[in-house]
Amino acid sequence: MSWYKNAKSKAEHLVQRGLDKHVRVAVTGLSGAGKTAFITSFINQLLYAPGEEHLTFFAPCREGRLLVSKLALHEQLHIPAFDYLGSIKSITAEDPSWPASTRSTSQANIQCRFMVKDKWLSQLTENSFLTIEILDYPGEWLLDLPLLSLSFKEWSQLCLQYLESERRKPFVSNVFDKLSQLQYNNVIDEAEQGEQLGELANEYKNALHDYRKSYNDFSLALPGRFLLPGELKDSPALSFFPVISPDILNLDWEQFESHSVLKVLERRYNYYQKHIIRPFFEEYFSKVDRQIVLLDTIAVLQSDYDSYQDLKETIERLLVGFSYGRSNWLKRLFSPSIDKLMIATTKADLVPPDQHASLESFMQKIVTQIKNEIGYDGVDVETMAIASVATSVPVTTEHNGEQLLCVKGLDDKSGESVIHYPGKVPAKTLSREEWRRLTIDFSPFALPELNPDDSLPHIRMDKVLQFLIGDKFV
Amino acid sequence: MSDKPVKFYSSDKAHQKAEKLFNQQFEDSQPLVRNKSDSAVDLSVSLISTQQKSLLTKLFWPSLSAFVIFAAGYEAAIFITSLYNQHWLLGGGIGFLGGVIVLSGAYSLYKGWRARRRFKKRQLQKETISGLLRVNSYGQADAVLREVSDDISSAANIDKLKQDYDNRKQQIHNDQELIQIYSSTILKGLDSAAIDIVTKHATEGAAMVALSPLAAVDMALVAWRSSKMIQQLSQLYGCPQTALGRFEMTKRVFKNMMLAGASELVADAGVEMLGKGLTATISTKAAQGIGVGLLIARMGLQTMHLCRAVPYNSETKPKLSQVRKSVLSKVIGLIKSASSDKSNKQSEKVKQQEALKQHNGYDNS
Repeated sequence: MSWYKNAKSKAEHLVQRGLDKHVRVAVTGLSGAGKTAFITSFINQLLYAPGEEHLTFFAPCREGRLLVSKLALHEQLHIPAFDYLGSIKSITAEDPSWPASTRSTSQANIQCRFMVKDKWLSQLTENSFLTIEILDYPGEWLLDLPLLSLSFKEWSQLCLQYLESERRKPFVSNVFDKLSQLQYNNVIDEAEQGEQLGELANEYKNALHDYRKSYNDFSLALPGRFLLPGELKDSPALSFFPVISPDILNLDWEQFESHSVLKVLERRYNYYQKHIIRPFFEEYFSKVDRQIVLLDTIAVLQSDYDSYQDLKETIERLLVGFSYGRSNWLKRLFSPSIDKLMIATTKADLVPPDQHASLESFMQKIVTQIKNEIGYDGVDVETMAIASVATSVPVTTEHNGEQLLCVKGLDDKSGESVIHYPGKVPAKTLSREEWRRLTIDFSPFALPELNPDDSLPHIRMDKVLQFLIGDKFV
Repeated sequence: MSDKPVKFYSSDKAHQKAEKLFNQQFEDSQPLVRNKSDSAVDLSVSLISTQQKSLLTKLFWPSLSAFVIFAAGYEAAIFITSLYNQHWLLGGGIGFLGGVIVLSGAYSLYKGWRARRRFKKRQLQKETISGLLRVNSYGQADAVLREVSDDISSAANIDKLKQDYDNRKQQIHNDQELIQIYSSTILKGLDSAAIDIVTKHATEGAAMVALSPLAAVDMALVAWRSSKMIQQLSQLYGCPQTALGRFEMTKRVFKNMMLAGASELVADAGVEMLGKGLTATISTKAAQGIGVGLLIARMGLQTMHLCRAVPYNSETKPKLSQVRKSVLSKVIGLIKSASSDKSNKQSEKVKQQEALKQHNGYDNS
């Protein structure tokens, strides 16, 4: 009878999906954008939502319909649970610190019981349940997504362009010379000469690593697992590098022998693509209903024109990778896809509230093109300036005889109270010259002392909740 | 004008001057961040009152009223002096009475003028608020909302709602968010109170018309209940209207109903047809009552639209269905109780007769 049970549970699962009882939220963002803090705050706000009414813009909470919410174990038992308690403990500790950055995937499930609002549904049942699934994973791995659609040759071409840029020269010139002079048509025995390739790959990796440390920008030239290999450390699947010789890139690759260096590299790249990237994204992202993309606009504003352009390109490539489209019930049963997308700029607490609009509009400019494209597919796209955990309060002070709205928080190093005005946040994109003249300073604040029995202070998390899952509480 | 070509390099004074002017031009016109709904500049066109009234037409009403006032005053003066000539006490009394009339009239005129100004002020506030809802601004809504709260609290007790609003608003909220919070706390509370008032007056009107025997009385009833309702509603929303001002309001309400009626008619037609089918079976009088009740309810909803400081959106918009149910049940309840009273009385009569018969029977035996 096992087949019967199996079929029954599957049918129940499908019915639940059909009734929208599950909503899967993907939190996307490059590393350092604040994904872990966001998820911690997201769970925290939901757990404290019943009873209290601090989430003004979250309709189920405002209407008092959210009865209970709790953390639950998810069905996919092979995925580790998101360490919510650990994160909240580190935020509210006596000597508070931000939760450690993510090193592997994890998932959190929140179950909510709420009063049914729809007057037809409420005839059937008074209360209903909703399970919210949130995924966390290292932001570095996200960089692999665009690789799925690139062949080895295309990827190499992109890398070549990337490495040729002026500011990367001092870091990569050594490896650049070595790689461009490599004899790609030599036939090698992988078992014996694999070492050499591994060394070269390491050298390539380290050069870009060093560059990234000093500039903190992301690119496809450095695939995600190179940064955070997980259990794949030192495996041959990661021992590859791009072909960066314009002559060879112009050739027809059919003529190379199957054991040549070039073909070996291509095989490894394809393996990486097929057996490492694809399963990861299929497992985590193909069933996503709602997505939030977190961008650290503050960091962008503090960098320079080139980093800004690099980031813009990376983001555009990233977002195209996700499958978007209006979710109708049929589609949801078999291949659910994202029907709501929020692009949020985090750390808005470092900016005085009257400049949130500028911050948001600056970020909008980064994603304008992609926003249009996604919106064209019928996906709801919204942008917002948020802070998962607010570390400051707005205060007004007088400066040079004028009223000035500032933010007040604790100094990151000394821990004393400080009032900070970061400068005028530009509301539009800047030319190269304007970037150079931009004087802006966002010094991060230290976490203030927070009461673990209260919900975390936040900026616009209620609106995020409303946009992402508010419509599921019907 | 110089005839020869000239070039100004960046070290030249003229170049720097031009740049300075150029930059100033941008600093002066700092654009607000626009929402997606407002991405296209508002290009709607409105007619600039095409009917240019000629001077003579404009002069008609002022001159007529001036003439009437002067004539009445002149007549009154002659009347009083003639009475005074008969006896000074008679003249004095009538003169005093005339003075009181003039004074009280002037006072009510003044009050009407103030009410109208309040109404106009509310329309201005409304315009400001809907303008703020369209752009992404900061720090401008608070003053307007405070003004609105002050207006409201002078006529209604909203301390608790205000406290709720103060708890919810934070300094990080921008204008749009503040207005939304205001709408969902204070104004939402007022809305539910306003719906109660509308329901009360609509059901009362419906019941009265259903029970009244004369058509002329019906008309008076409708006028009385609806004017009372408009007065209460406008007071609730903080722009109280008096008799004279109410006339202006009523005019606006009817005008809006005509405009809105067409679209609402389509939406309501189905349900109302059902309602009529139902009521027709009860009685014509009850159907009239329900019709009048719905009319009053619709007037009430329009008044709410006009007086509310933050415009309704599709979610917060009050619906006729909220009132219709109670109007229907009230009238149906009335009919039922009336008919059951009748049958009760009849059955009581029968019982009495039977009891009498039995009594007589005992006597006979």
